[in-house]
Amino acid sequence: MSKKLFSKFDIVLFTAALMLTGIGIFAIYSATHGSSLGNTSGTDYYLKQLVFALIGIVMVVVISYIPPKYISRLSYIIYIFAIFLLVLVLIFGKTINGNKSWFYIGGFGIQPSEFAKIATILAVANYFYRGDDEKPNYKTLDIIKASLFVIIPAVLIKLENDTGTTLVMLTFLIPMFFWAGVSPFLLFAVITPVASVILAYLNPLYLIIGLVVLIIALFFFKKGIVLSLLVLVLNIGAGSSVNYLYSKLEPYQQRRITAIFDPSTDPLGSGYNVIQSKVAVGSGGLTGRGFLQGSQTQLKFIPEQWTDFIFCMIGEEFGFIGAVIIIILYLIMIYRLINNAYITKNKFLSLACVGFATIYFFHMFINIGMTIGIMPVIGIPLPLLSFGVSSLLTSLVMVGIALNAYRHKDVFI
Amino acid sequence: MKPESIKYISLTIVFIASLALTGRLVQLQIVEQKEYGRESDKNSIKKIIETPARGLIFDRSGNILVDNRPSYTFIITPYKFDKTLTAEIAKQLDIEPEYILSQIAKATGTNKFNPIKIKRDIDFKTISYIEENRDRLRGVSYQVESIRSYPNKFRGSHIFGYNSEISEKQLADSKEDYYKQGDLVGTTGIEKYYEKFVRGEKGSRLILVDVNGKEIDSYNDGRNDEKSKNGSDLLTTIDSDLQEYAEKLLQNKRGAIIALDPRTGEVLCLVSKPDFDLNIFVGSPDPKKVAGLFADANKPIFNRVTQTKYPPGSTWKMMMALASLATGKITTTSTISCPGSFQFGNRVFEDHGAYGSINVVRAIEVSSNVFFYKLGVMLGIDNYHDYSEMFGFGKRTGIDISNETSGLVPSAKYYNKVFGENKWSQGLLVSLGIGQGELGVSPVQMAAYTAAICMNGMYNQPHIVRRIYNSTTGQETPLVFTRRQIDIPQNYFEAVKKGMYLVVNGSGTAKNIKSSEYDLSGKTGTAQNSNGNNHSWFVGFAPFDDPKIAVCVLGENAGWGAQFAAPIAAALMVRYLSGNTKDIYNESSGAEIRD
Repeated sequence: MSKKLFSKFDIVLFTAALMLTGIGIFAIYSATHGSSLGNTSGTDYYLKQLVFALIGIVMVVVISYIPPKYISRLSYIIYIFAIFLLVLVLIFGKTINGNKSWFYIGGFGIQPSEFAKIATILAVANYFYRGDDEKPNYKTLDIIKASLFVIIPAVLIKLENDTGTTLVMLTFLIPMFFWAGVSPFLLFAVITPVASVILAYLNPLYLIIGLVVLIIALFFFKKGIVLSLLVLVLNIGAGSSVNYLYSKLEPYQQRRITAIFDPSTDPLGSGYNVIQSKVAVGSGGLTGRGFLQGSQTQLKFIPEQWTDFIFCMIGEEFGFIGAVIIIILYLIMIYRLINNAYITKNKFLSLACVGFATIYFFHMFINIGMTIGIMPVIGIPLPLLSFGVSSLLTSLVMVGIALNAYRHKDVFI
Repeated sequence: MKPESIKYISLTIVFIASLALTGRLVQLQIVEQKEYGRESDKNSIKKIIETPARGLIFDRSGNILVDNRPSYTFIITPYKFDKTLTAEIAKQLDIEPEYILSQIAKATGTNKFNPIKIKRDIDFKTISYIEENRDRLRGVSYQVESIRSYPNKFRGSHIFGYNSEISEKQLADSKEDYYKQGDLVGTTGIEKYYEKFVRGEKGSRLILVDVNGKEIDSYNDGRNDEKSKNGSDLLTTIDSDLQEYAEKLLQNKRGAIIALDPRTGEVLCLVSKPDFDLNIFVGSPDPKKVAGLFADANKPIFNRVTQTKYPPGSTWKMMMALASLATGKITTTSTISCPGSFQFGNRVFEDHGAYGSINVVRAIEVSSNVFFYKLGVMLGIDNYHDYSEMFGFGKRTGIDISNETSGLVPSAKYYNKVFGENKWSQGLLVSLGIGQGELGVSPVQMAAYTAAICMNGMYNQPHIVRRIYNSTTGQETPLVFTRRQIDIPQNYFEAVKKGMYLVVNGSGTAKNIKSSEYDLSGKTGTAQNSNGNNHSWFVGFAPFDDPKIAVCVLGENAGWGAQFAAPIAAALMVRYLSGNTKDIYNESSGAEIRD
């Protein structure tokens, strides 16, 4: 009986997600209790998170039972609705911390950009889905169309001034292409100019090294002289235009870009958070200072700790052991997401799982990385742990669809 | 690639990335734990934002007009603040408790960690209250801040303008990400226009504080600190003595004065009355006093020099003369019959006298209406509009004070819009010819126009600031003001100027202000006003041969041009040319001469 039950239910993924959500509520409690934060008293945060966690878990179970073909059919409608919300928030949204990405409904802040992540992944997955039997042969136009699915919401989110989520939107496309079976060379041609831009910005010398590597790689692709030269020219062009474009920016815009790569250049802004959170994590030691005992957390030295910087509370109060447990839980989740993509026979849900895995990985790596000072501060939450109704529900719905993929792994649409 | 290989490659990437995170955690939490632990045990880091002093403002001789003085500001850091103290603090500061709560409520997100300014310029008693009760008053403190002071014998309210706390709307609109709640920002006058230069750049310091918020030391020996940069000074063209005198001339009156150096466009003085005491806005302004200023029916905040829009009356006649000469409708010697009235269609337009056949010089001298009624009709609406624009009407002069009106110069397009396509009569041009009707001009436009006439068509952009200089860095910000030559032959200007000379020195409409020492020239004007007494205008320049000053005086509801504005303008010009020594003003020298 139990064996049959678990053959349909991904208990490992579900348990890991549940544990992270639970730990998140404790962490938010610790980071917010006993303080009066503007109009909201500290207790409101963890209670709100708790209520929505319960709602979210019910949603996870319900979603896991929906026949996949309905999800597939609904995906474009969901996508259009998400775009509609993104446009609406640009017009009527409320600006918080410089991001115009919030709706306020009955005291709850809602961020359409969070939901747009799922909607876009489903839309791209559905676009690439061409029946389960044949091996599809994607053309360049398909790549462009699929990219448009991502670029439209990405631009809208960028207009909301939410750079972090914009970057997230640009991450899952490549793995999904890859998984769908798009030619690796095409992907190579698309990704390398972006890499060249970043290298050229950091140091012109890096660009030259990058171009040498590129030429060697092109040699191994054996795609003929014309195509290879085209990719090379594209890279040189992208790399050499950076300095010109950069010089066209206003000084304050330049400062913001510089601060992404080096927070210490912006002590007024993100640099301050990094210094504080490093002290918090570092002082935690092996076993941590104990729940509600961390002075950095309790004295509220870290701005917005309950959202993007929740990990430093874990580091300070639960120590190295606690921090590693969190990382292991994420590893388990990402492993199960990739595994579900692998075992699911229908390509639509399989592709969606790849997108979700990318999102979880990117959020986890960047968020923890910025807290401990090895990644730029781009302001994205830690899935399931950070306070935030939209982020929490989105992260849980992804789990729900992944559970659905597992349940229907043998079902063709 | 096989799906299986992709799966294992992805898992490997994820695993290696997690190892990298774990490795960093080992470094922070195990290897360097002692160091961070110590730092965290004893103290924590706090960021202090340092707002620099605003730049100073000087007059044309280098005397300080707008200065700074140190003051103490009462601050509250919201996330630490115990709200039960609100009533006690409100009483101590003599403000409403609701105000404190609303200010705290405005601080959302990370702003809760930054101190909020509650009241500026607190007294010594309040400081000792904070110091004595430091342990009890969590989240309460004070900081030194420099605020404005005005060490002058005059007000200059509309020149300098006031600073006020940035509004929520301004904060939301600012795309720069520079201002924070409670910051002072230039709101009117040159304080606003040159805000970006005057304010300087904020800096920050990271300091180590103990659990009670007491400062222990600087963090990382100040290596992460960013010094604030002082604001740049504004070196203005204002002549303090003349400004003081001009303000006295308009005391208890309603009107405007502006004087320019016609050779450069530099503003020598600028007065709009009634005005207000800038000190009302310094420190923690009394909301009742501020509201009172804005509610005052006499509109003291309103800048009558740049924002009023009245018909210019007969001061407009030089523009009409020059446009008609330039378009060849008349010559300097051609005469027009001025019999005392003018019939257009079935309407009769009256004049204040019959002058026979006169030329343009005489027409300006006696301010004949019929002459200019006829020119209005001859010129036509398109020429009228184009030449008016040439003299800077219907658009902003670009004076370096924000909130300038462009006035209104009617065009065919404008009348088509108001009355309907071709549903308006050429008769409108009759009134426009003598500077009445829909035409609207501001005193600053009139002064720049007068300056251009006396300089034979050299039109200079009026401006108050001539240099922006940062005394700390020695950096100078270059300022460029436009100068253009109006394309009309010189002898036409000479003819018009001769008319203006005779207005004062001949048998003209301002003969009551003739000076035995200085060659004053000018033109009176009276703007018809259906809502009350007419507005009195005078524009003038002096000396005639080598103009050093051009003025415009406006008196609201003050009657004929020669009655109110002309004596004031004359006194002002004499004052300036005599090196600020002579005072010839005599209120009863006004004459009821129709123009």
